[in-house]
Amino acid sequence: MHERLSFHVKRDSFLHRLNPLTKLVMILALILVTFTFPWYWTPHLLVLVAVLPLSLLGKVFREFSFAALRLILPAAGFLFLMQAFFQPVGSDVVFKFYFLDITSESLTFAFKNAMRVFAMVSAFTLFLLTTHPSELMSDLTRRGLPGQFAYVIISTLQILPQMQAKAQTIIAAQRSRGLDTESTFFKRAGSLVPLVGPLVFGSLVEVEERAIAIEARGFTSKHAKTSLHEIPDSSFDKALRWILLALIIVSIASNLWLS
Amino acid sequence: MAFVTLQNVTYKYPLTKEPALREVNLQVKEGEFVAVIGPNGAGKSTLCYALAGFVPHFFKGEISGSIEVDGKKSDESTLDEWVLNVGLAFQNPFNQISGAKYTVFEEIAFGLENIGVPREEMKARVEEAMSLTGINDLADRSPYSLSGGQQQRVALTSILVMRPKLLVLDEPTSQMDPIGTREVFGVVRKMAEEGMTVVMAEHKVEWIAEFADRVIALKEGRILMEGRPNEVLTSDLLPENGFGISRYTSVAREAKKRGLWKKDFLPVTLDEAAEGFKSR
Repeated sequence: MHERLSFHVKRDSFLHRLNPLTKLVMILALILVTFTFPWYWTPHLLVLVAVLPLSLLGKVFREFSFAALRLILPAAGFLFLMQAFFQPVGSDVVFKFYFLDITSESLTFAFKNAMRVFAMVSAFTLFLLTTHPSELMSDLTRRGLPGQFAYVIISTLQILPQMQAKAQTIIAAQRSRGLDTESTFFKRAGSLVPLVGPLVFGSLVEVEERAIAIEARGFTSKHAKTSLHEIPDSSFDKALRWILLALIIVSIASNLWLS
Repeated sequence: MAFVTLQNVTYKYPLTKEPALREVNLQVKEGEFVAVIGPNGAGKSTLCYALAGFVPHFFKGEISGSIEVDGKKSDESTLDEWVLNVGLAFQNPFNQISGAKYTVFEEIAFGLENIGVPREEMKARVEEAMSLTGINDLADRSPYSLSGGQQQRVALTSILVMRPKLLVLDEPTSQMDPIGTREVFGVVRKMAEEGMTVVMAEHKVEWIAEFADRVIALKEGRILMEGRPNEVLTSDLLPENGFGISRYTSVAREAKKRGLWKKDFLPVTLDEAAEGFKSR
């Protein structure tokens, strides 16, 4: 059976118990402060004093470091190299490679930007690891997000792996009838047609049936919706959100004044 | 006063030439369990959709005549109000999974969330519906990890939990094994005895004979005949019109020609056939 498309790790931790919106605001604050606070070491410090401790607090340190090392670090490293080589600032050349120079200015610049991206993506990863998508959506729906919008997001997360599985079935079926999927590039490109057709048309029929099914279960009902799971929203959550909001404002304001 | 009344209903899907339903007249009493049989393309599904309000509200197309359930006319109502009274479960279970939920329990609660049932009542109703269809042990599984038959039970439970007054089922047991089929018929029978009105399109005539109150035979969008299950299911009209019939009926019909079946009725189920052959 194919896995669903979600990073969520089910644990009981401080971070898991926070309201999804609080976590969303927290991540937003982290990202905005990283980008706007006018101090060079902000992103580096935030990763050390905020993101890493949070991953421990959320009891997802193992999963988090796995994602950070395997996915985020290579991407940030690539960004670092690109910016270090191609940022045309400074005159203090540290390293020369044919026509490409690395200056100490471009190095510091690249390091900062790579760290910013690292902080942003790792904070978001942390959010995904500790928040169940349906919890997030029912909380946002309760706060006025249209139900249809939430449904599109959640069902896409679930239905994409199902479509993948179906594509595999169609490929297997067509290959068993002699479709060439392993020779030259052009032959393989040509053989996409009999694969895509059934997948797309089949999905359209499915969409109609699914629309009937959810309609039959009152999806467009004008009643106010309720939710099976109670989503925690303590006064601590509310206070935390205000503090984070204040932090964002301070950070943006200091950026405007000091630069 | 009938609970469900169809008067002269003729319906044509958009972009088609032939009507899918032709001058259908039908009355169903409250708490009655009516089975609809017919060859593929006879209009069984369309009849189900018409009762559930999807014809014409969802599919559009041309409709004439009137559809009335519980004193309300379909064309004077909107679909979101109609589905509160009339529940529909159909054939393909995979497409009936909402896709918005991660466990079977949540999946069954989906409809109750939509119509704003309070949390505690919701939990109690989901538990109750699950024990009715015998799927309590699936509560924490992902609906996508289930077999076709299990998914069909989840689809049925998801509708039962909404407690519709009229339950419309379009081949709800198509992917089930004989044991599952029997259980579903049993549940539906029980619901009917508790006052729920049921219309079920189904091919499995032996179960229909055992559980349904009345059978309607559809052909090319028209009602060919209707009546008590044994009367309709053993009629000579069925094989002549391409309907699938019970093997026990076929055997007894052949036996009758050779003078081996002495009863004045034909059997539909194994028990009836065994009884009839024994006491000749």
